[in-house]
Amino acid sequence: MVLALCAALGLLLCAYANALSREARDPSQLIYWAGVLLVALPTGIRMGMRDVSLRERLVLIALFGISLYAIKVIRDPFLFTFPDEPIHAYNADRAISQHGLFNENPVLPVTSGYPGLAGATSALMALSGVSSFVAGIFLIGVARLLLVVGLFVLFNRISGSARVAGLGVFFYAGSSNFLYWGVQYSYESLSLPLLVAVLAALAEREAVDTRSIADWTVPIVLGIAAVVITHHLTSYALVVILVALMVGYRIWRTPHPRVWPFAAFALVAAAGWLVVAASSTVGYLGPVLSEAFTSTLHTVSGEAAPRTLFQSSSSSVIGETPWLGRLVTLGAVALVGVGYLLGIRQVWRERRSQPFAAVLAIGATAFFGTLVLRFAPKAWETGNRASEFLFIGVALVVAQGALVLVRRGRRLATRRVAFVLATGVIIVGGAIAGWQWDAQLAQPTRITADGADVESEPIAVARWIGDNLPAAEFAAPDADARMILAPGEANARTGDTLDIKAILEETSLSGWMLPALREHHVGFIVADRRKVATDAVRGTAFTIPGSESHPLLPAEANEKFTAVPLSRVYDGGDIVVFGLKEGP
Amino acid sequence: MRAHRDLWLACLAAVACALAAALVPWQVVRLLAALPLAFLLPGYAFAAATSGPRRPGLAQRVLLVLLCGLSVLCLGGLVLNFVPGGIRTLSWALLLVLVVFVAAWVAAVRRGDEDRERRVWRISRPRAVDLVVGVLAIAIAAGALVLAYTPLPATRAAGFTSLWMLPARPAAGPAVKVGVISSEQQAERYLLVVHPDPSARPRYFPLTLRPGERRTIRVPVTLAAEGPTRVAAVLHREADPHVPYRHVVTWLPPEVEGG
Repeated sequence: MVLALCAALGLLLCAYANALSREARDPSQLIYWAGVLLVALPTGIRMGMRDVSLRERLVLIALFGISLYAIKVIRDPFLFTFPDEPIHAYNADRAISQHGLFNENPVLPVTSGYPGLAGATSALMALSGVSSFVAGIFLIGVARLLLVVGLFVLFNRISGSARVAGLGVFFYAGSSNFLYWGVQYSYESLSLPLLVAVLAALAEREAVDTRSIADWTVPIVLGIAAVVITHHLTSYALVVILVALMVGYRIWRTPHPRVWPFAAFALVAAAGWLVVAASSTVGYLGPVLSEAFTSTLHTVSGEAAPRTLFQSSSSSVIGETPWLGRLVTLGAVALVGVGYLLGIRQVWRERRSQPFAAVLAIGATAFFGTLVLRFAPKAWETGNRASEFLFIGVALVVAQGALVLVRRGRRLATRRVAFVLATGVIIVGGAIAGWQWDAQLAQPTRITADGADVESEPIAVARWIGDNLPAAEFAAPDADARMILAPGEANARTGDTLDIKAILEETSLSGWMLPALREHHVGFIVADRRKVATDAVRGTAFTIPGSESHPLLPAEANEKFTAVPLSRVYDGGDIVVFGLKEGP
Repeated sequence: MRAHRDLWLACLAAVACALAAALVPWQVVRLLAALPLAFLLPGYAFAAATSGPRRPGLAQRVLLVLLCGLSVLCLGGLVLNFVPGGIRTLSWALLLVLVVFVAAWVAAVRRGDEDRERRVWRISRPRAVDLVVGVLAIAIAAGALVLAYTPLPATRAAGFTSLWMLPARPAAGPAVKVGVISSEQQAERYLLVVHPDPSARPRYFPLTLRPGERRTIRVPVTLAAEGPTRVAAVLHREADPHVPYRHVVTWLPPEVEGG
């Protein structure tokens, strides 16, 4: 119970830091990180102790997973603001309004072909009448619980030690995407826990007697099917892992229940789904992966300058990561490396003939290779996303290495203190690596003024659109477009689609611009002078005058649309909505 | 099935939750009913069905309940997509209840006559100090959530006012709706000037809006004999009456079809 109290106090600190940030007071992030550590460290360390019953360890695992998830919920309590969240919320809203799935998504069309998240969300929405925001919070919370339980079961079965398993879950929280990206309302946040659970079920299946092997078949098949219809990359990763296990079993000739039927099922299901329901995936992933590959080659060969660490590609960043934050992040990577070196020896010595352990160890090794991708400008994202899968192996190996550090012997007390400090650095460093420094805390999107609640300009225009023009098509900058999708529940396109970004930023109106939009049935343009409007992470908040956070485009960027007699249906100051149906 | 109390309870709970979710008008109650129906009961029944007479460990049971439950939700949406009527309250309620019933029946058949002293969930009596600390932890966590969900003043944030105009439904003749929404930090006085058509005199609407307040005005328009009619509205702030603060323009066709 004391650990629950620590977690609660940690959440209160995080809420306090976020509250100060929502008041635009620019608080020190030390309050926030202290809260994160208070949530994670006491529970995590107890999870890795020797004298803990299985029941207590499970409760601690659940507390650990849910309380760290609550940090994200506390950051964004009013609506989804992470870049992918409004996109998926739109899909869920459409599933309810259209009574079906596979509805077109104007910002990220590939998501229409993977309706697992929207379908699951629609259950709670249909049964209770809550919004996609509320339903999504609960759904991702349950998925997070599945992830930590699945990791625990998987690590416990592979290592034979509940203590290693507890530590493994703890170290997985050091993954760069664990605190924020991995719990945004997005399809991968649901598919990754399902993948881990499938692996855990497979590992359990290995350990039961032959009469009970078939008992695990249905859950595994269900889980594989759910992954396939939920997220493309996760389903491909699952296929790769299952095939690797299959190969591993053949190499080591380990007595085992057959894995190949599941590998075959996953392969056929993933490929079949790609062909039948989600063919746009090729056009979506192909350029991303080929650009990552090309960028890596150019960076390695010296043809292109490497990406500077801790630099965002967004021009809206107002606060670079301070030197202490960079030190902690780099320290975290180094400590993970040390843990890996200590642990891989243990894994090699004790478990190299176990295919599960071998596959995860190979993944752990590959993780360090993906760190190189972070130096290639267009491969950073690929490396970051791959790390979520590979870090499963890292967590297990580092957990094994951590046990070496805290085993009985000389200077045990010193080693234990070093262990606690190291784990704190890994948790915080991972979180800093995975999310922009200046966006760690909430921005003011809903404030009180004179006793009433008011929302920021992009949210206000989105709600106005939802109330008055729900069936129209809009062209808008990234942040505005996402708000129009959810909570506006209307259609919006953005970015390089139809050259919308260029159209909005130019200061003069060229002859091709409006016909190009009209041809694709765009009825309205949302012209937003705020440069931050192109930043899907930072663009939804109130403007803070006098700060460096919100420079404006020239007034001509908006006023160029008055050169032709268009309707000007909404004027909010920086954001103006023009109707594309001309007057006389 | 009579001997399998946990399965009976799961079925009854599924029916009760489905009825509450489908029939009760209060959203909070519906949500409290929907949560176990969506996240717990199908997974529990499925886990029981797959386990059969075998009793997995606690961790494995939790894994099965969550894995099967979330998988049922993902795949259930896909199934309902192809069912007449599609995704609706009734279809989800029926599907989840059906899943629970079928899985519970399979579980009962597989378990056979082996009964359930092992199905009793034993919860040890907590110590008084644990209770106190636990209640304190819940209270603090609740406080954190309350703090998070409470909008706060941000005096440095720039307030704004929005002006909008759209064609009104022509039921009572051609007209426009003009709206003003205040998202300012304090009450503001405005003067709204609407030019219903180039030949008519402008109409003036003094307004005082507190933050969060909105006003919508229906302004009749005399349509031009030929071609679209230009309607404009300008919002001035009392503090700066000579400078247009916001302005909107719309064009009404000769025959307005509504907006």
